[in-house]
Amino acid sequence: MTTEMVSSLFQKLSRLNWGIVSLVFLISAIGWILLISAAGGDIHLWAFKQMLRFAVGVVIMFSIALIDLRWWLHFSYIFYGFSLVLLCGVELSGFIGMGAQRWIDLYIIQLQPSELMKIALVMALARYFHSQRLPLPFHKLFFPLCLIFIPVMLLLRQPDLGTAMVLMMAGGALFFLAGVSIWIFGIVLISIGASLPILWSFLHEYQKKRVLMFFDPSQDSLGAGYHITQSKIALGSGGMWGKGYMQGTQASLNFLPEKQTDFIFTLLCEEWGFMGGSFLLSLYALLIIACFRIIFTTQDDFGRFVAAGMTLLFFLYVFINVAMVMGLLPVVGIPLPLVSYGGTAMLTLLMGFGFILNVGLHRTLKIPRFSIGVF
Amino acid sequence: MSEKENTQFLGRTLFLGILQFVLLLLLLGRMYYLQIFEGNYYHLLAEGNRIATRPLIPLRGQIYDRHKSPLAQNEASFRAVLLTDKKDKIEEVLDTLSGLIALSFEEREEVLKLAQKKRGFDSIIVKDNLSWPEISAIELHVADLPGISIEVGSVRKYPEILNGAHLLGYIASPSEKEQEEDSMLTIPGLKVGKVGLEKYYDVRLRGLPGHSAFEVNAKRKIVRDLHQVASIPGEDVHLTLDARLQAYAQETLSSYESASAVVIDIQNGDILTLVSTPSFDPNLFPRGISHTDWLKLRDNPYVPLTNKAISGLYPPGSTLKPFVTLAALHSGVIDENSTIHCPGYMFVGTHKFHCYRKTGHGSVNFSRAVAESCDVFFYEIGKKVDIDLLSTVYQDFGLGRAGFEGLPHSKKGLVPTKNWKKEEKSANWTVSDTVQTSIGQGYMLATPLELVVAMARLAGGGKRLVPRLEDQGTVSFQDMGYEQKYIKAILETMNATVNKPSGTAFRWRIPIEGMEMAGKTGTSQVRRITLQQRKAGQTKTAHLPWKYREHGLFLGYAPAHKPRYAIVVVIEHAGGASLAVQAARDILLKAQFLEKETVL
Repeated sequence: MTTEMVSSLFQKLSRLNWGIVSLVFLISAIGWILLISAAGGDIHLWAFKQMLRFAVGVVIMFSIALIDLRWWLHFSYIFYGFSLVLLCGVELSGFIGMGAQRWIDLYIIQLQPSELMKIALVMALARYFHSQRLPLPFHKLFFPLCLIFIPVMLLLRQPDLGTAMVLMMAGGALFFLAGVSIWIFGIVLISIGASLPILWSFLHEYQKKRVLMFFDPSQDSLGAGYHITQSKIALGSGGMWGKGYMQGTQASLNFLPEKQTDFIFTLLCEEWGFMGGSFLLSLYALLIIACFRIIFTTQDDFGRFVAAGMTLLFFLYVFINVAMVMGLLPVVGIPLPLVSYGGTAMLTLLMGFGFILNVGLHRTLKIPRFSIGVF
Repeated sequence: MSEKENTQFLGRTLFLGILQFVLLLLLLGRMYYLQIFEGNYYHLLAEGNRIATRPLIPLRGQIYDRHKSPLAQNEASFRAVLLTDKKDKIEEVLDTLSGLIALSFEEREEVLKLAQKKRGFDSIIVKDNLSWPEISAIELHVADLPGISIEVGSVRKYPEILNGAHLLGYIASPSEKEQEEDSMLTIPGLKVGKVGLEKYYDVRLRGLPGHSAFEVNAKRKIVRDLHQVASIPGEDVHLTLDARLQAYAQETLSSYESASAVVIDIQNGDILTLVSTPSFDPNLFPRGISHTDWLKLRDNPYVPLTNKAISGLYPPGSTLKPFVTLAALHSGVIDENSTIHCPGYMFVGTHKFHCYRKTGHGSVNFSRAVAESCDVFFYEIGKKVDIDLLSTVYQDFGLGRAGFEGLPHSKKGLVPTKNWKKEEKSANWTVSDTVQTSIGQGYMLATPLELVVAMARLAGGGKRLVPRLEDQGTVSFQDMGYEQKYIKAILETMNATVNKPSGTAFRWRIPIEGMEMAGKTGTSQVRRITLQQRKAGQTKTAHLPWKYREHGLFLGYAPAHKPRYAIVVVIEHAGGASLAVQAARDILLKAQFLEKETVL
């Protein structure tokens, strides 16, 4: 066993990918500025709380980054199991928040197990793919498929359509990277298409409404289509340079719904225009490119699956949220990563970046396929 | 992972990376489309969200008579208004309110219906035209009536009830059709002229609405005032009408079932009086007329809603004889000295036409023929005069022509010609037709306004006078080219008609020197007197049922030697002309007295 010995903590810190760290800080700072505007100039309403959460999240991110990757490999199934138990706990004792059972009260913070599950699933799949000879034979697909579908089923019951979709897409992408044949993807896609009508019957009335409304928001512009219509108006009316900071009429007069959470990108576009919007999108793109550099240069399978999975999760957040507020996707309740007001999503994302940083630190490390052992 | 798998992994990672990049570009493209390509459209929508406007209704212009006394003015009215902020409490508030003021079930339902539609700052008129006790009752209980406030508006008021109702018309809320044609009328609360001068001058009287703009939030609550564009009040209209004479004429004619009269100033065409009876109270309309009141007006057999002075079509009867005479003199068919023997009847073909005087007038010249209304004289002229020439003279004097373009219900009379009969009746013109036309019967129809214009043109010396409702400064009228000596001679016969003992209207002359009246009587048959009736001695129709009696007409002017006022009076189914002459005498006398008063 070749051991790259653990150097001192400071050495490790200095080798962190500071590009990624500074992009994370920059994007979060943009978020705080927007939250101040959303609160009509009030820092304390949302921005200050968000900064505190970010501080906590950053500590967690660094902690995750500095712990040895093999340790995470070792604990990945346990972590998955723990998340699954929490997810079931929501079913049993969760309370109703925003019409959906998504939160579990841990007395100190309200935890969203579905967020933890995203991290856990990526790690569990990465560990499984790491432990197998790739490409996987057909019968070995069953176990990782179960890893995906058990939480997906639980999430659909909650119902949390957005997270379920994210889990399926992230899982599917990891299968794709693991070398699963294109043919199998084709078959799966077709069978999903065939089962859509059945899935439709599982959806709640408001979810059906949102999906229908997505196809024709003008049909009910004061009801369920209101969000999309007003969001498009706010975004479109920003023009090239925007209406100016804190000058967004749609936001300040409350035409824009959920302006501090899911629709914050619209607030940005209304006040800062196309310039502001494309600036933030460019920052996201840079961050993703930086993550991809790590994936490409990492030797170890577990490491690069983890990094790829976390990057994908991040990308899905960005894409689904932005596409949703621009009326390209139905409203599913996915926040804009690092910018939207809210604790758990940010925590998940910072944990994700912790893992990406971790993999970046351990680029040259190569963990043997069958070693489950502790370092 | 073997080398092959490693390459595959890197390849697929690259693929995912490129896919993500493409998807991000797609978002950028969408953003560009929404913000730059459709930016203006969404900007407008955002402004529409943000800015709400409330129309400011312009004050309607007032209508005055020639002496500046108001005929239609605006009066302050107080109304209870409900702000729809607190929707859930509306029923409660209405309950409390109906304990204080009279609130019908329909009014209540209407408010509830509107409250469903409107949001936030919009206000609903709960009850208009509050009385003082109602206002104080509401003010006293204002604490129990959240959302209710009292607003000052204006309501149209026609001060001289019944006088000039027809000519002025009235205003009311616009119909859906009117709103489609003119989008300005969709402004809630804006009233529009429905008929009469209120409609004729509507665009001028209406003014331009303004608006006040507010910034509102998503709940339609006002955040702040933005700006105000003041409304521009409508223009005032000053009529040529004399309210005092109008009132007098109205009162004079109100003793008859159905009548109309017009007085015109021969010097300038000013319409001094234009009356139609029975009339109605125009004040019923601006506040919204009740259904029973409306039915009463609509189904009245004497059609009070119609302005007969401009839309009533009557056979002018003998009143046309001066014009026939002029046509005959003008065309040389007769001269001043021509005489005709009147035996009391005349045959045209096999048909026997009777004279006004059964026993006949003996030998008559045109002067006696007019004054004593000898029909046979005119039958003889009628046989000789070409109908198209006669029609040209009629039309020169405004028959079948005069009227106010655009004044609602204004109609034109009918002056028949050979072509007209060929086209409309598919028949050739006959001598019998000419004979009938020459005594103002047959196809011939005229409105009272046309008749008075003809009178004024004749009395004015054959000038093409144009009637007018507004004083637009001094005017001079074009001469129509008729021989002055003929006109003078004809006017003299009209003088004789009234002021010579043998004249048909001598009993009702004005015996005051300098104020004498001249004119011509006329009766027009509504139904031919049958041979049997004539044999039974029935040549008069006074004892027939009202609607079969003859119309009584009088066309005249005063003073007889210095024509100033031309008048027409038509009394429907009067059975004879005497009532019309009496009414004309009274009105002309009043007009001259008023003139003196004004001069003094």
